[in-house]
Amino acid sequence: MAVTPTPLEVRNIKKRFGDTEVLKGLSLEAQKGDVITLIGASGSGKSTFLRCMNLLEQPDDGELFVHGEQIRFKTTKHGREPADWKQVVQMRAKLSMVFQSFNLWAHLTLLENIIEAPIHVLGKPKKEAVEQAHALLERVGLSARANAYPAQMSGGQQQRGAIARALAMDPEVMLFDEPTSALDPELVGDVLKVMRDLADEGRTMVVVTHEMSFARDVSSKVIYLHEGLVEEAGAPADVLGNPQSPRLKQFLAPKY
Amino acid sequence: MLDLQGYGPRLIEGAGVTLQLAVLSLILAIILGLLTATAKMSRSWLLHRTATVYTTVIRGVPDLVLMMLLFFGGQIGFNALSDVLYYNYDIDFYINFNAFAAGVLTIGFIFGAYMGETFRGAFMAVDNGQIEAGKAYGMSNMLVFRRIRFPQMMRHALPGLSNNWMVLLKTTALVSVIGLTDMVRVAAEASRATHEPFAFLLPVAAVYLLIASVSEWIFARLQKRYDIGFGGQ
Repeated sequence: MAVTPTPLEVRNIKKRFGDTEVLKGLSLEAQKGDVITLIGASGSGKSTFLRCMNLLEQPDDGELFVHGEQIRFKTTKHGREPADWKQVVQMRAKLSMVFQSFNLWAHLTLLENIIEAPIHVLGKPKKEAVEQAHALLERVGLSARANAYPAQMSGGQQQRGAIARALAMDPEVMLFDEPTSALDPELVGDVLKVMRDLADEGRTMVVVTHEMSFARDVSSKVIYLHEGLVEEAGAPADVLGNPQSPRLKQFLAPKY
Repeated sequence: MLDLQGYGPRLIEGAGVTLQLAVLSLILAIILGLLTATAKMSRSWLLHRTATVYTTVIRGVPDLVLMMLLFFGGQIGFNALSDVLYYNYDIDFYINFNAFAAGVLTIGFIFGAYMGETFRGAFMAVDNGQIEAGKAYGMSNMLVFRRIRFPQMMRHALPGLSNNWMVLLKTTALVSVIGLTDMVRVAAEASRATHEPFAFLLPVAAVYLLIASVSEWIFARLQKRYDIGFGGQ
């Protein structure tokens, strides 16, 4: 049997900001089709952990493998940083990220946002990129907004547009950084529905979220972080249905 | 009626010199300004220091003094260099320090420092999330600059840039001290010869005003173009 490389693996990631150690050695392995949700209180390090996976934050220690390829690091006077930025750029093109605050490029229309990286990073012909973009917009229900600028769209539309932008890269793994946290409650559902569809079609996803129902119903694995360490991890039915640690029990308990 | 007493063609030629000088200096100043802003935001101590010294010196010394220093000093420097090359290596070269090139270099050099500050502020006003999105999608630093940081920075830079351009345009009048025949020099000559200063200086003032008005229109168009997508305008 042919061995397909693991899409994303990180080992023993450590990160400090000044005197505070925010990640104290975290590991994660995403196999093809896995949907891994990271949960935890704010300050637990889940977003920082996710941002270390595509090196928007530079981990102080640990190893990173994307599609079986190890990212090389070197130590400089500024700390530890990638030895080869070209390798990082290529690695990032395989992982696309969906941000809490959408971060669609404000000076481009939605359509231009979606074709930007496929054309300029992947070198796709423009015609092909535009066709693909229209198909993706249809899929996230935004065909009518192709020529709108992000500022003219609601938060929910922007986030669905950002997901279309992520899909246009045909990524190995999609990273979601609290994708619904900045949305009005009535707009959350549409975004979660799109994400659920992606999970159903076998996309590999790592999702930082506060949406417990999404974690329970959609993910294949849940990791609960507390102060930069994994407190509990496993199948959602176990972690969320039968929490062991008092902290996780309290975290999951109704807040009112 | 307007009687230029035969100085008309030379005045028009002078206006051409003024315009060419201003536009070429602007291009140089923008390039130097972008480099300075990048150096000032860089982690490298040496680059940061060099850029700071550059802006401090330029902004602290009068334009006229700088222009004479660079023009006369530059000529002496080049002559010394060519002497050394001739006697020691038998290489014979001579550069006549062209007054026009010297004018462009000096004005570009001076305004590069002002542009540097304008661009630095503008770059810092770009939302970091926009840049992170570029990086997260596999863009190299160069691509992020070209496709995201530059187009988004411009709307913040344009008001300052347009202001710098207006000042630069008027600074070109100083080049007559290094022997360049721009329209101010022609008008001054003609005024002295005919004892009719108004007949020549008023048209010159009008030409400056015309260039300034056209520029304002162009900058307004540019502002509109770079404001696209940011709403409210």
